[in-house]
Amino acid sequence: MISSLRALYRKGRDKWLFQLGDSEPGTVTLGMRRVFIVPTRPGLAFAGLLLVMLVGALNYSLGLGFALTFFTGACAVADMLLTAKNLALLQLSPGRAPPVFAGEEARFELHIRNRTRLDRYAVWLGFQADGEPRQATDILAGGDSAVRLSTPTLERGWLEAPRVRLVTRFPLGLFRAWSYWRPDAKVLVYPAPETPAQPLPSSGAASEDGHGTVGLDNFAGIRSYQPGDPMRHLAWRQIARHDPALGGQLVTKHFEGGAVAELSLDFAALPLQLELELKLSRMTRWVLEAEQRALPYTFRLAQHEYGPALGDAHQAACLRALALFGAEGRA
Amino acid sequence: MTHPARTFALRLTRDKSDTLLLLTAALMVLAPHFGHLPLWISAGVCATLLWRAAITWRGKRMPPLWLLLPVSVAAMAGVYLTYRTLLGRDAGVAMLALLLAFKLLEMRAKRDLFVVIFLSFFVLLTNFFYSQSMPTALFMMATLIVLLTAQQSFQYTGVVPPLARRLRTSAKLALLAAPLALLLFVGFPRIQGPLWGLPGDAHAGKTGISDSMAPGTLSSLALSEETAFRVRFIDPVPARGQLYWRSIVLGDYDGRTWTRVPRLRGLQRLDVAINARGAPVRHEITMEASGKRWLALLELAGPDFSVPGHRVRDSDEMEQFTMEPVAQRTRFAAAAYLDYRLQAGERPERMRRWLELPAGFNPRTLALAGQLRQQAPQASPEQLSNAVLSRFRNDSYNYTLEPPLLGRDAVDEFLFGSKAGFCEHYAGAYVVLMRAMGVPARVVTGYQGGEMNPVDGYLTVRQSDAHAWAEIWTAAGGWRRVDPTAAVAPERVEKNLARALPRPATFGLGPLIELQNDPDSWLAQLRFGYAAMNNSWNQWVLDYNPERQRSFLEELSAAFANWRTALGAALVAGLLAALRRRRRRRPVDPLDGLYQAFCRQQARHGYARHADEGPSSYAARLRIMPAGAAKHAAMEQFLTLYGALRYGAPEPESRTASLATLKTLLPLCR
Repeated sequence: MISSLRALYRKGRDKWLFQLGDSEPGTVTLGMRRVFIVPTRPGLAFAGLLLVMLVGALNYSLGLGFALTFFTGACAVADMLLTAKNLALLQLSPGRAPPVFAGEEARFELHIRNRTRLDRYAVWLGFQADGEPRQATDILAGGDSAVRLSTPTLERGWLEAPRVRLVTRFPLGLFRAWSYWRPDAKVLVYPAPETPAQPLPSSGAASEDGHGTVGLDNFAGIRSYQPGDPMRHLAWRQIARHDPALGGQLVTKHFEGGAVAELSLDFAALPLQLELELKLSRMTRWVLEAEQRALPYTFRLAQHEYGPALGDAHQAACLRALALFGAEGRA
Repeated sequence: MTHPARTFALRLTRDKSDTLLLLTAALMVLAPHFGHLPLWISAGVCATLLWRAAITWRGKRMPPLWLLLPVSVAAMAGVYLTYRTLLGRDAGVAMLALLLAFKLLEMRAKRDLFVVIFLSFFVLLTNFFYSQSMPTALFMMATLIVLLTAQQSFQYTGVVPPLARRLRTSAKLALLAAPLALLLFVGFPRIQGPLWGLPGDAHAGKTGISDSMAPGTLSSLALSEETAFRVRFIDPVPARGQLYWRSIVLGDYDGRTWTRVPRLRGLQRLDVAINARGAPVRHEITMEASGKRWLALLELAGPDFSVPGHRVRDSDEMEQFTMEPVAQRTRFAAAAYLDYRLQAGERPERMRRWLELPAGFNPRTLALAGQLRQQAPQASPEQLSNAVLSRFRNDSYNYTLEPPLLGRDAVDEFLFGSKAGFCEHYAGAYVVLMRAMGVPARVVTGYQGGEMNPVDGYLTVRQSDAHAWAEIWTAAGGWRRVDPTAAVAPERVEKNLARALPRPATFGLGPLIELQNDPDSWLAQLRFGYAAMNNSWNQWVLDYNPERQRSFLEELSAAFANWRTALGAALVAGLLAALRRRRRRRPVDPLDGLYQAFCRQQARHGYARHADEGPSSYAARLRIMPAGAAKHAAMEQFLTLYGALRYGAPEPESRTASLATLKTLLPLCR
């Protein structure tokens, strides 16, 4: 009961006071209204010190004691202003966020730009959920800074960037100013590859000698390079003889039998009793394995059918389909 | 020359340089205390700071707690042995200084750092117990900025600007704080301290007139340049010879020392008749803290006046005193009647106490009195007084600061032997003679004269102006002031002590002292200027008390109630704001300005430039805009020209020409 009330209070406070909302697209400028500030523990102690100084000045009727007390107090107020200004008017924009596999750390790149003439020192950043930020950066006047924040991933699918908290105590450490920002960035989380790895499916025609699932072992000569040819099949010896800058061409090794014995990764062909996520994990592992071994493969998952092909783009399309399986309508 | 310094600074790691800066700040905070702390404490504090610096420098470990704890306990014991107490102002300051030094050796977490800095702030405040002069204030301001810089230096996480930049940042912070500090200083409600009883040593070591007078009491004050009080006259300043500041009346003489007539408890007070003539001279006295209860007031002070924060009493002898010692600089208004008659027509038997003389002392003086009396049996008290004064005047008496020591019959020895003395000798001898002749008389101590500062119109009365004179009583005229010193050294009353008694000049500084005493010399002008500045410092900064605050704020509100002043202030504020806004607008490169105008124009048609778009890609996108051919041509030309100007390196002349072309193209792209 009490905990639910507390949760309700917290929700209301976050929404009303801190104006926490959804992510904002594009570049966000931190206005003064978005910067919150409270005294730190040393700041509270400083207030106590001011009180003691005031009493001392009063008791001994020290004219300069009053002057010092008021001046020190005014310095604290100026510090409050400067601390808030240390965050205000910073321009924030999300940067790249490369896809990761579930279980890895998703890394969000955040850009902070300072278009003002005030140097910003000691700005701490971190995700709100992680507690006190642990990464600090300086953004000098007119400059910018990139910060990478990482957060663990658990499930496949899109992972939206969590809310970021920017904190500063500069210059005197008596006040703590903070601001929230929900970057408009998301990371595609692929399913975690299955471990231990299962052997690639042998649904295609096996070569006659019985080893090697797909007959790409038999070297049959070289042909000119075509976009999409795997790097490992480039005939480096021949390329080295004909410098491409001097009119030479890239050439690729050509193997026999590959076209016939095609590798097919078909979701529907997986044993029915397997769990969905395990199936996706296995498919992921196979895609990676096929890429690693440079075996062109066909990929079939529900309405998606790619290939046969090989290469980064193909792999990315396959992994993306795996990551978003069952969630495409929402994504 | 700067090169080695720079490499040196680079060699220090950030932590080390931060700590050394903090040590510097601590040293600046503590250094002014070395003047009054016992030597062992100053040495201990210095040694601790040096030790800390060495630890920082060499990157050694801090001393362990088992070493620090006994040392600090021993230091506390030392403080107790030195001061015989752990409470009180001086002992407290000594403890704070030691605490700060030891805390520097016990800095482990960030929290300790704040403790050190906050402690430094407080020790900074305690400096004002000992000095509140303008140089002190300036030094403390510098210390404050170094302290703030040290505090700030610990906050950096990455880039640390050089020390000069950091100092500038702190100075800027201080500048930002200054208006608010001023506002608080002027407007923060002041309460008259103290909040509780001050420790006994709070106002130690004040010199001034005491309630007894023996030969040498006043001459010891004569060399003190300390200010006793300052006076601002509202009415015209009376003549110098009228400036007698009455403080204590001494009537009892034991052969050596003059003391106040003790008042017996329960005795009914006399009705003292005062007849004052003429308008009073109104003035305002700013009295320095004397640590005593006696006030010194221009003769003869009006009956009703008050001292803020004190209850004032007066005595039958027209002395005024406060119930508590005056522990702070105090300002009060007073009025004096220069022409007065005190206790005229009093019954003579009531005056018997002013005739008492100790038996068996000064036989030759008594004989002289009898002789004078016999020479003119019918003489009035005034005539007798004149006879004594003319003896002082004509019988080669000397006025000197260094009178010879006197024995048991001090007045005899003075009158017939040394014939040299300071004002207390003359006043004392005069009163003894008058009493011996049957005329009621008493010694009055206080101050005489003062120095008028032509710069701010304040009259400064110093301890060196301390003076003793006499009063004789006649039935017709009441108490009348007689200054026997004036008979010997009239210039003492007419000018001042320095004129009457040239100080023995050492090391050939005689001409300089002469120069200083001449009110028209440049040195005197300089001195007057400095004194006036110091006085306004005292009046407005050090002595800005509840009364001053009230009157100042009233004046201020009265000034602002006037619509013209208010309008003027509003105008100035508006002007300042406009200037600020104007300064804030950054000068834009004309080329950028034109390009921005162009982009704004196209944005209105829904073709806003994307942040990542260069002029050529923007041009490519604009080509599909539905518009006339002329506009397309103009846009194409504009963007090509802009790109060439922005990214090429054209001659300055062609640049101005191109800018003009761009300007003409701009309306065509609308």
